[in-house]
Amino acid sequence: MQKQIPDPSGHPQFADLNRRSFLKTGLGGAVFLGTVSVTAGLSGCATQPAGRLSAVGTRMDASYQFRFLNEDDIALFEALLPAMIGPGLPEQPQARNLAIAGTIERIDAGIHKFGPANQKELRQLFDLLNFGLTRVTVARVWSSWPNVTTAEADAFLERWRTSRIGLFNNGYIALTKISNVAFYGYRDFWHLSGYPGPPQYAVDALPQFQNA
Amino acid sequence: MSLTDRIAQGLESGWNVTDSALLTQNLTAEADVVVIGTGAGGGTTAEILARSGLSVILVEEGRLYYQKDFKMDEQTSYANLYQEGMSRVTRDGAIAILQGRCVGGSTTVNWTSSFRTPAPTLNYWAEQFGLDELRPDAMAPWFDGREERHSMAPWQVDPNVNNDILRQGCEKLGYSWQIIPRNVKGCWNLGYCGVGCPTNAKQGALMTTIPGALDNNARLFHSLRADRLVMNEDKIDHLEASAFADDGVTPTGIKVTLKARHFVVAASAIGSPGLLLRSDIPDPHQRIGKRSFIHPVNATVAQMPQRVDPFYGAPQSIYSDEFNFRNGVDGPVGYKLEVPPLHPGMSSGVIPGHGETQINNMAGLPHMQSVIALLRDGFHPESPGGTVSLRDDGSPVLDYPVSDYLWKGIREAFHTMAEIQFAAGAEKVRLMHLDSDWYTNWTDAKAAIDQLPMAPHRVRLFTAHQMGGCAMGSNPQNSVVNGFGEHHQVSNLSIHDASIFPTSIGANPQLSVYALAARNSTRLAQRLSRAAS
Repeated sequence: MQKQIPDPSGHPQFADLNRRSFLKTGLGGAVFLGTVSVTAGLSGCATQPAGRLSAVGTRMDASYQFRFLNEDDIALFEALLPAMIGPGLPEQPQARNLAIAGTIERIDAGIHKFGPANQKELRQLFDLLNFGLTRVTVARVWSSWPNVTTAEADAFLERWRTSRIGLFNNGYIALTKISNVAFYGYRDFWHLSGYPGPPQYAVDALPQFQNA
Repeated sequence: MSLTDRIAQGLESGWNVTDSALLTQNLTAEADVVVIGTGAGGGTTAEILARSGLSVILVEEGRLYYQKDFKMDEQTSYANLYQEGMSRVTRDGAIAILQGRCVGGSTTVNWTSSFRTPAPTLNYWAEQFGLDELRPDAMAPWFDGREERHSMAPWQVDPNVNNDILRQGCEKLGYSWQIIPRNVKGCWNLGYCGVGCPTNAKQGALMTTIPGALDNNARLFHSLRADRLVMNEDKIDHLEASAFADDGVTPTGIKVTLKARHFVVAASAIGSPGLLLRSDIPDPHQRIGKRSFIHPVNATVAQMPQRVDPFYGAPQSIYSDEFNFRNGVDGPVGYKLEVPPLHPGMSSGVIPGHGETQINNMAGLPHMQSVIALLRDGFHPESPGGTVSLRDDGSPVLDYPVSDYLWKGIREAFHTMAEIQFAAGAEKVRLMHLDSDWYTNWTDAKAAIDQLPMAPHRVRLFTAHQMGGCAMGSNPQNSVVNGFGEHHQVSNLSIHDASIFPTSIGANPQLSVYALAARNSTRLAQRLSRAAS
C-alpha cells in the first residue's frame, strides 16, 4: 500500500498516506497502544525481563538482575540515551558504556518500584517502540534500535516533544523523565549540574552515614 | 540537636510493630479501632484514640523508614518513600502526582509548610456545605493545639536565596509576601525535607503522633495494603489486607484480617476513595471519588546572576497570597505563590528536555531559581475537580480534566511568576512548558505567555496536595461523611484525611488535616469510650 520514497538522507520515508495513519493513531491512541502489547507478545518479541544478559553482560554490573526491562528495551535505551543525555555522557568508550549500562540498570530499578499499573503503561510504550511495524509507522524510526544513530534518536525525541498529539508528548515525557532522573540524579553525574551533594559537615555528623 | 532516634529507641523498647514482609502465615488481629493510613490524619487519630485508652491497630501500605534510611539521596527516596516510586500521574499522564507512601505518609516527605485553613475557605464550606461548626473561630483551638503538637512556627532563619528571590520580586512589584510557618524542631537548614528528614527535626507524623500512639500500646502493621472493608449487615466487620515483601511492591501472598468495633480510613484523597470503592461501601448518591482537588501547580524557572544553590536550605520559607483570594473566594481562580527546592534528579525530571538543551539547563542549576503557583480549585462551578475510580486491577486512579477556567488561571500565574523573577533580577526565565524558550526580558516572556498553548502535556503540571473524593457535608446527597468525618450510611466508619475536604484549601494542607483529625478523633474517642462503659 505505502510507497517508499528515499529522502536525501538515504532513509526511506513514507508518503502522505502515512501521515493519515499517524493522525489516526493519535485519535484512537489509547486503544491502539493496548493492542500493540498483545501483538508484540504473539509475534515472539522478548517479553520476559532480561535477568542476566550474556550479550551485554560484559558492560553490566554482574550483580544486577533486571526486573522489568527485556533485551529489546535495553537495546531501545542504548539507542536513546546518547540522544537523551547527549554531551553529558563520557567520550571514552569504556566509561561511556559503563555510564549507559549503569543508567539503564537504574531505570530498571526505578521502574520496579513504579508498581503494576504504571509498569503496564510502560510495557505498552516500549512494545510500541520495539515492534517493527509500529516503530516505523508510529515512531517513524526506520531502523531497528541497535542501528539507529544518535541523530535519528534525537529526531524521534524531537518529533514526540513537538507533536500536537498529547499521547506522543506523554511518551516523550515518560522516556525523558525516567532517563533524566536515573542519570542526573546519580552521584557520578551530579557534577554536570554543579550539585556538590549533601553538605559534608552533615554527612560527617549524622549517625546514618557512619559505618558505611 | 539530639541525635537520638525516636523510632530506633521505640523499637528497642518493645513497640508493637509488625513488618508484614516478615509474616510467614496468615494472621487475624483485633482491636477497638483499626486506622488505615499513618499520615497526617491516621497518625493523629491513632495517638488520640490510644491515649484515651482504646486499643488501636494502624495499617500502612508503605514501609517503616526512619533516620537510618534518610541519607539525603533522591533516587532511593523517590523509589521508596513516594507513591508508585514517584511515577504516579493522572489517568491521561498530564499531571504528575507527588504523594508519600511510607509510615508518616506525605508528612514524611513534605516541605514542612504549615498553614491554617484560610478563613475564607472555612466560611465558604459553612455557607455551601452546611459546615457551620467549622467556622474559623470554632477551629482556632484545634489549630492552636496542632501547632503546638507539631512545633509549627514561622521560620526564624533567613530564607535561602531561592525563597528570598520570591520575596525580592514581590517587594519590587508591591505584592504582599509572608514567612512560612514550618513544623520543625532544631532544624539544620539542610534542604532535604523532601527525601526524608535526615536529622529528625521535622515534626511530621513520624516524629510525633506515630511514636505517641505506639508509646500508648497501639500496634502498627507496615508493608500491609488495605484491600477491602467487609460489611456484615449495616456495619463493617473486618478489613482484609495483604502483605508486601521488603521491596515494598511485591505481594508475598500473606493475608491479614483485622477486626474492630470502628474503622477509620485515612489513606489519602486517592487511597481512601479507592478503598471505599473496592469495598462496595454504601454510596446511594454516587459521591465516592467525586470532586477530587489537587491544587494544580505550574512553574517557571529563572537563571539568576547570583548563586542560588536551590538544593540547600529550608525548601519553603516565603510565600505570597497576593493572588490567592484577590477575586473573592469564588471568582476567577486564585493561586498561592511558593518556591520548590531543586535537586538534580527532580529538576531534570520536571524541566522537560533532552540532549544538549537539557544538559545546558542542568548546568545552570546552581544559579537556578523556581517559583510555583498552586491553584485554588473547587470554589467555582467551572472547577468541579476530578474523579477517583478503580483500574481493572483495583488500584485507584485520578482523572483530572483541566477546565478552561483553570487554564486561564494557569496562564495568569505564568505571567505573575515570570514578572516576579525578572523584577528580582533574573537574567532569563523559562516556563515549565514543552514549547517554552528561555526569555531574556519581561516583554518577550509576556508576549510568549500570551501565545503559548495552554494544553495538557504541553504545560507541565504537578500536584503535591490531593484533597476531596469523600467530601464532608451536612447533606448526604452531596457528601460522603458529616462534619465530624462520620460516614453518612455506615455507623462504624469514619474518614480522617484530606479526602473529606469539600474543596481544595488554598494552602498546603497538612495542618488542615492534623486539626480536623484531632477534632474528629477527640469526639470519636469519647463516643467509643462511652459505648464501652
